[in-house]
Amino acid sequence: MAAASEPEPEFPLPQVLTYPASTPPLLITQGAEGRLYKSVHVLSNRPCALKYRPSKAWRHPVLDARLTKARMSSEAKVLDRCRREGVPVPAVYAMDAVAGWMMLEWIDGVPVRAAINGWLGERPETEPTPDETVDPAPLAGLMRRIGAAIGGLHRVGVVHGDLTTSNMMLRPWADANTEGGGGGGGGGGHGDQSKLLDGDVVIIDFGLATQSSSDEDRAVDIYVLERAFASTHPRAEKFFDYVLEAYGESFKKAPSVLKKLADVRMRGRKRSMLG
Amino acid sequence: MQLETVRIQLTEADTHIALFRDVANVGALYGRLIAKNPEFEYAFIDASTIVSPLHLLSAIFRAYICYATGKLQTNNIHSEIVLSLSPNNNINESYRRWGPTPGKTKDMIVVKVVPDNVSEPRPTADGIRAHLAQHIDGRSVPFSDEEIRKSTDRSKVTKYYKLKCPTLDNLKDPAQREREEERLVIMGMALREL
Amino acid sequence: MDGSSKKRRIALGCEGSANKLGIGVIAHNPSTGEATVLSNHHRAYFVRIAKQALADAGVAIADIDCICYTRGPGMGGPLTSVAIGARTLALLWGKELVGVNHCVGHIEMGRAITGATNPVVLYVSGGNTQVIAYAEQRYRIFGEALDIAVGNCLDRFARTLEISNDPAPGYNIEQLAKKGKVLLDLPYAVKGMDCSFSGILARADELAAQMKAGGKTLDGETFTPADLCFSLQETVFAMLVEITERAMAHVGSKQVLIVGGVGCNERLQEMMGGMAAERGGSVYATDERFCIDNGIMIAHAGLLAYETGSKTPLEESTCTQRFRTDEVFVKWRN
Repeated sequence: MAAASEPEPEFPLPQVLTYPASTPPLLITQGAEGRLYKSVHVLSNRPCALKYRPSKAWRHPVLDARLTKARMSSEAKVLDRCRREGVPVPAVYAMDAVAGWMMLEWIDGVPVRAAINGWLGERPETEPTPDETVDPAPLAGLMRRIGAAIGGLHRVGVVHGDLTTSNMMLRPWADANTEGGGGGGGGGGHGDQSKLLDGDVVIIDFGLATQSSSDEDRAVDIYVLERAFASTHPRAEKFFDYVLEAYGESFKKAPSVLKKLADVRMRGRKRSMLG
Repeated sequence: MQLETVRIQLTEADTHIALFRDVANVGALYGRLIAKNPEFEYAFIDASTIVSPLHLLSAIFRAYICYATGKLQTNNIHSEIVLSLSPNNNINESYRRWGPTPGKTKDMIVVKVVPDNVSEPRPTADGIRAHLAQHIDGRSVPFSDEEIRKSTDRSKVTKYYKLKCPTLDNLKDPAQREREEERLVIMGMALREL
Repeated sequence: MDGSSKKRRIALGCEGSANKLGIGVIAHNPSTGEATVLSNHHRAYFVRIAKQALADAGVAIADIDCICYTRGPGMGGPLTSVAIGARTLALLWGKELVGVNHCVGHIEMGRAITGATNPVVLYVSGGNTQVIAYAEQRYRIFGEALDIAVGNCLDRFARTLEISNDPAPGYNIEQLAKKGKVLLDLPYAVKGMDCSFSGILARADELAAQMKAGGKTLDGETFTPADLCFSLQETVFAMLVEITERAMAHVGSKQVLIVGGVGCNERLQEMMGGMAAERGGSVYATDERFCIDNGIMIAHAGLLAYETGSKTPLEESTCTQRFRTDEVFVKWRN
């Protein structure tokens, strides 16, 4: 939920965002599932993320309505479960599952993806980093916090379904006591290199999440992140072991998940198919 | 008498709110409510069920959106506010729990939402203030965090919003705990129909 | 090597991954890269149709640069027969062999026919359901059916309803679906970019049994075979379009190419077109001559590989039932 992208073509707003607010809605991302706006909930100093799943005209209207509602509901239920079980996720402020929108707590900070890339710097892809000139401890620490955050999710019976470093926010520690606050705006531009990777890992975007406690589902969840991490941050790939290490210590069944992960890796993502 | 008038974000309406302590004529007010007396187009709320102004404003926001999008499940926006406070769809239960109860309710919150598009004569803050001062036999206090919290019945709120959960058990700092409680209450209302 | 001395390169392609044999002849113009279909045949006897294909193409055996054949994936029997046939021709005529991945054949033919440059590819047939996008020398599989292929699901349901196989079960389902009105509730099984169809088929079969017993929907409506076909199509195609859209968002592409037998379905093309339009893009589909398995696509993809130096030595000219699309090193693209 970092700074907004370039002004994309105008999409029709969900009706709720057509009512007046102190700050106009800002389109943050446009994904396959729908769009994410920054807006405000109730008070002008209470920023929120509004997730909107517009209806898809190409889909049969009955099916479309059924899917939109079911997915909104399932996402909200997963968030509720996490929130009550002490797993840091955005709170749901308001929603209309039929109209296809959900207002979520605005999470300050930058996506983990941007933080890691900022920390690695704009060095060319080929250069192996981080080397001796950079203290690897901050990245190792962040990777451990990521592992612990995923462990927390799995512990309470939730599988994310789409773990990537773009679906994790790095919420600055300093802001822990002020709700909402300024919100957003800045992106990764803190001058102090050593503090770039500070912050709590808050997992976001539960649009594909399911409730499951099977080793297999959990292992696939981690495997998805492992692959995404390798392709997004090839130069930090070896740090992924810290994620696994911290995950392994995060709940009782984690070691058996890691054992399963070895199987999942072995068979590759998918089985072969017949022609 | 103190009447707060706010513009809730993403609504096209004036929202007037007053908090009264030790209301002596809850029974009479309840009777007018039951009789659907048009002069008493308000939401009356038992203040012991509310944890903060934001809690109530969130319910009003929800009720407004239902009103504006033609999805009211009750008679009007004011009864919808009471339903919006509930974490489930049981309308009668919501009236019983969040509405006033003669003999039990002491502190009461009165809400009047005046959408921008209502036909003239438009109720004004002065008019509402005068009307409430005349009919409510209670001590007016500011609709503020501090005053609301004095009225909150924590055990009731915990029960109504099912607040017994690991998250709150593990939060030791009272200020943090209150903030999280408020979030969970708002989340409970948001997830009502699921 | 001898290609440079000639005006064009020519390949004979032999496809037989399932119950049909196809042989086609294609020519590539080395200067423009343009591909010309010279002939394309489907019939029952290898030698006869190979001769027929050459005769129709007006090509002499001496003009042929290479013999391309389907290496897999597919059914064992047909694959083996075609590999033997192709080897025989290669030995007989003294030509190089090129083993071709069937799915890559579909993709390359689709790109050549439609002019889609870098599309997300939905490959849907009786044996395959894959969402594919090109990245770094490979056609990478972003999503796929985790159990049965969508075409298999439709074909099996046609059998449940005792719908004719002529000209194809899927085609008859499509025609029947046009008369359907009631959308029956079928499970919707999408997980990320993957999907599954066996649960849907099971439920559709159940509903068909209920219909035959005079059953009604929850709203008390009666329903017909047309309603069942309509509901099945609406549900499984919505799933396919959804996973394709997710892949498009993932790789940032605005083009979709549909290949494979199910790709002939006009309702699928229409839904995909609607999705692509919402994203400011467009859909590319081929007609049934190229949607269904054919020899030309094998010749075309084989020739692309041949032109970049790939050939299959006789002793390695095997075939395999399992051959993933992403195993092929795509040397001919950037």
